[in-house]
Amino acid sequence: MSPQVRLANEIAVQFRHQPPDAAAAAIAAHIRTFWEPRMRAELMRWVEIEPESLDPLAREAARLLRG
Amino acid sequence: MTAPVTVYVPRDSAALSVGADQVAKELERAAARVGRPIRLIRNGSRGMLWLEPLVEVVTERGRVGYGPVESSRVGDLVAAGLFDGADHDLCQGVVDQLPWLREQTRLCFARVGVTDPLSPEDYLAHGGLLGLRRALELPAADVVAEVTESGLRGRGGAGFPAGIKWKTVADTPGPLKFVCCNADEGDSGTFADRMLMEGDPFTLIEGMTIAARAVGAQEGYIYIRSEYPDAVRTMRRAIDVARAEGWLGADILGSGLRFDLFVRVGAGAYICGEETAMLESLEGKRGMVRAKPPIPAITGLFGKPTVVNNVLTLASVPAILADGAAAYRDLGVERSRGTQVFQLAGNIARGGIFETAFGMNLRELIHRYGGGTLSGRPVRAVQVGGPLGAYLPESGLDLPLEYEAFVAAGAMLGHGGIVVFDDTVDMAAMARFAMEFCAEESCGKCTPCRVGAVRGVEVIDRIVAGQDPDGNLALLNDLCELMTEGSLCAMGGLTPMPVRSALLHFPDDFTAR
Amino acid sequence: MSLLKEPDLGTPAKAGPATVTVEVDGLPVTVPEGTSVMRAAALSGIEIPKLCATDSLEAFGSCRLCLVEIDGRRGTPASCTTPVSDGMKVRTQSPKLEKLRQGVMELYISDHPLDCLTCSANGDCELQDMSGVVGLRQVRYGYEGANHLAEKTDTSNPYFNFEASKCIACSRCVRACGEIQGTFALTIEARGFASKVSAGGKAFMDSECVSCGACVQACPTATLQEKSVVQLGMPTRSVVTTCAYCGVGCSFKAELRGTELVRMVPHKDGGANEGHSCVKGRFAFGYATHPDRVLTPMIRERITDEWRPVDWDTAISYTAAKLRDIQSRHGTGAIGGITSSRTTNEEVYVVQKMIRAAFGNNNVDTCARVCHSPTGYGLKQTFGTSAGTQDFRSVAKADVIMVIGANPTDGHPVFASRMKRRIREGAKLIVVDPRRIDLVRSPHIEATHHLQLAPGTNVAVINAMAHVVLTEGLVDRGFVADRCEDFDTWAEFIARPENGPEAVEELTGVPAEELRAAARLYATAGNGAIYYGLGVTEHSQGSTMVMGMANLAMSTGNIGREGVGVNPLRGQNNVQGSCDMGSFPHELTGYRHVSDDVVRGVFEEMWGASLLPEPGLRIPNMFDAAIEGSFRAIYVQGEDIAQSDPNTKHVTAALTAMELVVVQDLFLNETAKFAHVFLPGTSFLEKDGTFTNAERRINRVRPVMPPSTGKHEWEIVAEIAQAMGYPMHYDHPSEIMDEIAALTPTFAGVSFEKLDKIGSVQWPCNENAPEGTPIMHMDGFVRGKGRFVPTPYVPTRERSTRKFPLILTTGRILSQYNVGAQTRRTGNVAWHPEDVLEIHPHDAEVRGIRDGDEVVLASRVGATSLRAVLSDRMPVGVVYTTFHHPVTGANVVTTENSDWATNCPEYKVTAVQVGLRHAAAPADAARDETVLPEMAE
Repeated sequence: MSPQVRLANEIAVQFRHQPPDAAAAAIAAHIRTFWEPRMRAELMRWVEIEPESLDPLAREAARLLRG
Repeated sequence: MTAPVTVYVPRDSAALSVGADQVAKELERAAARVGRPIRLIRNGSRGMLWLEPLVEVVTERGRVGYGPVESSRVGDLVAAGLFDGADHDLCQGVVDQLPWLREQTRLCFARVGVTDPLSPEDYLAHGGLLGLRRALELPAADVVAEVTESGLRGRGGAGFPAGIKWKTVADTPGPLKFVCCNADEGDSGTFADRMLMEGDPFTLIEGMTIAARAVGAQEGYIYIRSEYPDAVRTMRRAIDVARAEGWLGADILGSGLRFDLFVRVGAGAYICGEETAMLESLEGKRGMVRAKPPIPAITGLFGKPTVVNNVLTLASVPAILADGAAAYRDLGVERSRGTQVFQLAGNIARGGIFETAFGMNLRELIHRYGGGTLSGRPVRAVQVGGPLGAYLPESGLDLPLEYEAFVAAGAMLGHGGIVVFDDTVDMAAMARFAMEFCAEESCGKCTPCRVGAVRGVEVIDRIVAGQDPDGNLALLNDLCELMTEGSLCAMGGLTPMPVRSALLHFPDDFTAR
Repeated sequence: MSLLKEPDLGTPAKAGPATVTVEVDGLPVTVPEGTSVMRAAALSGIEIPKLCATDSLEAFGSCRLCLVEIDGRRGTPASCTTPVSDGMKVRTQSPKLEKLRQGVMELYISDHPLDCLTCSANGDCELQDMSGVVGLRQVRYGYEGANHLAEKTDTSNPYFNFEASKCIACSRCVRACGEIQGTFALTIEARGFASKVSAGGKAFMDSECVSCGACVQACPTATLQEKSVVQLGMPTRSVVTTCAYCGVGCSFKAELRGTELVRMVPHKDGGANEGHSCVKGRFAFGYATHPDRVLTPMIRERITDEWRPVDWDTAISYTAAKLRDIQSRHGTGAIGGITSSRTTNEEVYVVQKMIRAAFGNNNVDTCARVCHSPTGYGLKQTFGTSAGTQDFRSVAKADVIMVIGANPTDGHPVFASRMKRRIREGAKLIVVDPRRIDLVRSPHIEATHHLQLAPGTNVAVINAMAHVVLTEGLVDRGFVADRCEDFDTWAEFIARPENGPEAVEELTGVPAEELRAAARLYATAGNGAIYYGLGVTEHSQGSTMVMGMANLAMSTGNIGREGVGVNPLRGQNNVQGSCDMGSFPHELTGYRHVSDDVVRGVFEEMWGASLLPEPGLRIPNMFDAAIEGSFRAIYVQGEDIAQSDPNTKHVTAALTAMELVVVQDLFLNETAKFAHVFLPGTSFLEKDGTFTNAERRINRVRPVMPPSTGKHEWEIVAEIAQAMGYPMHYDHPSEIMDEIAALTPTFAGVSFEKLDKIGSVQWPCNENAPEGTPIMHMDGFVRGKGRFVPTPYVPTRERSTRKFPLILTTGRILSQYNVGAQTRRTGNVAWHPEDVLEIHPHDAEVRGIRDGDEVVLASRVGATSLRAVLSDRMPVGVVYTTFHHPVTGANVVTTENSDWATNCPEYKVTAVQVGLRHAAAPADAARDETVLPEMAE
């Protein structure tokens, strides 16, 4: 598994106590703050090719990051 | 069937050391043999040590005493009618009427030798708990005041007013305070603490409980030297009994007072009789003297406000509370009020406990009550107050037994131990012994005591050997001054007292021979 | 500079507002109440003779030299133990006192060797000094009497001797061992004249002595003396500098003869240590001049080639050209670097500046990534800045101390001594640790609660504690209302039954009642202080746990005053500093995000370069990118990633994949095996700069000797940047600090000049706090309001399995330091010649392992072999080892798991199996399953 997918999923679990919208926003903010662009690109690539490998919250965060 | 005869055989360790247990056994055997039921009570000692083992038989006339009884003579005594108080060459008559006892004023030792030490009924029957009951009725501050007004001073040696010490502890705020009893009785010629603990332990417990009541302490410790196994056993059993009787614990005599008591055993160091070294030892540390200030009354055991008093001080308290301060203060002279428990020892015909009001003169005590030397030779020197006390020459025995008079004579009353020497004593050897004792028992903390005592022995040896006697005498004098002025505690500070008194009164003993 | 002699006022300072005025020899002096006569006299300029007194120890009153006369008092009281009282009139000199003092000295000297001229303490001996001061002219006792001259010298300790014949039995060593260090290894044996200092009746080396040096420091004579002084003689000059070991940051006087370092002596004015030290800082400095040090730059084309020594110009231009070449082929982002927490703030700063400005990217990270990055994240989220809240001194005001995932007596010994002193005074202790660390029970210390949790369950435990605080009504409502935000959301979360102690009992292994009691104690005992270490951060939920502790502290109002706080115990000397200096890929100096246009603008203007607004790669990301191919070159400043980072196989694969690995270090370390350029670094004895310790204290590091490599590290970095075409030049490191101060609001008031003047400062140091800030968040949090953050417990992926049924956790020991590059090159190996695996007797029994057996330790990623030591410090199912020796390679077995927020590796939880090592089987073959027993589930 890509380290980025794994990490995104790990981040996602940390925010599961929040409502999904807020969680996705928080995850996206975290990734924006701490991830180098090529890591984000890698995550986007996996969202494209294997979306099911991602936690739904992480998927939603990725959508926000793209947006 | 006839009622059993009550027979007393002391179990005080002084009596045991001369065969009291064997005597007791023989008495039971003989009683069985002759078919006389007896009730054998193991009491404390009456303090007439030359009569031990002193067997007492309860008769209509009173308690008739026989002593000293050797076990081999029991059969003979029983045959002669001991159980009926019959006459015999060992019969001393009615014990209470012996002048030696009758002329004492026994407050502290009132019950010692009279009662069964571990019988709570006996204790109550002989006036026990009257002091505590009164203390529980008074406000705590009044209890302190009572002790202050009684004039009671520390019996351990320093003679510090007990009431002032208690007041300091009472006035020092703190959620936890202690009462510690110094029962590390190590002075030569002293045994009163031991005899009290073995002969009337409840008195000490009562005294400590009153102290706790007065200062607001919750826990107490009795620090007993390891050389006193019988006292340790008796105290521990007495504490168990007291707890069972509700005299100790969470709600003492239903008053709500909470106080508990524990025995701790020393490890053979004389210095642990010094109060701060004792506290260190109680804390589980090496018995080393603390610098004062802070004083134990403010920063004592585990750093908490602590009453530290000697056995005799605390054991005097119940009587003070029971009879009132005035009754106690009426005894004694000058600033030495109440009674002191003197202990006659050494080369003396009639050794033992002599409790009397302060003020009797030393000569009277030694000659009239002590009967002079055991050897029959003239008295040459008397050491009062333990191994650190001064040697008094025969000519100086007209001294009233009173704190300040002794200080004025360059001596000290100390714990009331009196050791007598006849004219064969070598006073240079005694001076050397003082230094040697200090060298042996110094805790090793301060330099004057740790190194000075060893050098003191060496210098005295040189003086006696005739090596530069003037120079060495000057050096010894300087050393004594340094130890007196510079030592951390009384151990090093008082060691020069016997040395200097020997030099002063017996200078010829120090010339080379 | 000559030898710095610090004044000794005889007894410790007494705090307190009340003062009294006394007269000493006619001179009035006003001192705080409780001050000793001796100290009052010293403060008025009058030194009373003394031997057993020293101002680091409570008065003892044993030597009896300091006797004085006091009007209205009998006798001659000792001035050290007599407190002043108002109006007291003291005489320190009189014929009588002179005679007494001479008498005391006469006694001392009658039992002391008369070899002053050949004695190692000649010139530095208080006994000698006092003999002179009191005018001793003769010893009438002679020298033939009883004495201790035949006492044997104990030379067992590698660093100091105990020459018993010279002992004056002042007990200073014994008291220092107890009062200052808190080890109680020494005692006085026997009594009277036979009294002698004894290490529990054993040789020092066989005793409980931890070789902290406090006894040596306290000894007034040659009795306890550094071997280096015995061998070399008395030093002649001192340089005050800062220890380069752990994050306590002790100040030392480096004492030298010329440029030869004779000894390191803890500095009384050091804010962090106040005159105390540990075995590493005090004695283990030999590595700095060890022959293994490389002093010349070296390069090689391939890592299979021999190293080729070159001159600095060659090395620098080679490096610059290579880096630029790689960037031209693979892009600007293909290179990056790692700063070191072992180097100075100035050296770190220039490396991150080189990367951001000269490399033109943000691929800079620091070794704090693998230790305290979760602290950075967690404390920033909750409090607003990445730093411990207190100064070390604060612990003296704590009423309950909670130590979580830290082992201060080994890792931070000098701070541990402060903490132990406070606990001995009565503060309560809660230890949260899978291991029964020494603090749980040691002389005069006992934890009220030891929450012996299963590794990896920190968050569950802290949540449960907060749950108790909340549900039992122990929240400090006033503090929360005034000072915090987002409380209700958090409270709703934490009150959920799944966070209750009973709910997590089975998971954590901590009995619910014990946990409840601990929570109540922390919340209600007065000042509650939390101290934590890598046992908190090095987990997959490290950041969550940091926030969990912050939540707990805020909920109980334990922030913003003396005696409370949340405090990371930093591993390395300059972890705090390297983080402060903008070493993280997303942050510029002072923890400001690179995306902040205003902040970036300030830097761009000052640096004359344009900076990227996007975060760069973190260390593990660099490794991943290297293996994947987009990251081609790395500049490693003073960190041995091949040994210290987890999953060694992965790290070495990444290093091997790169075209250029530049290592700047003292030694050819494990990472250097994969390097193409080796740039020799300078030891702390050669550095000129600052370190920032765990309490944010900026301490000066002063050069004791010139760089043996010919170049300062900051010069090397500036020259590489220059060679890459980016102008960077400093004439002196103070200019670097000036630049830091100009760019960083929290450092605005910091300069070498100020540090030299006032010793040290704790940031923030600026116009609001010109002398620094010992305690943070006093009036408000850095972020305004303290923020409660819900902290769900998410278990690690690392689980024990049938194949790997045990959990390995790792740590450090007192005598060794991290990867051991320094301490292994000192006498400290005497205490720890090898890493061992501690295993519970039960776990050993079922595997047929006996104490001392060679065993194989394997995880799903690797295996190594080491010696087993049976120990019941861990619960059944947990094994423990250290990572000080490269031969052990403990990180061969640690995994790629990391903290979700910061990628800090999960060193503390690895599922492993342990089995007897077959005589001939090499470690690599150890994973053969016939060797390792499989446990039935």
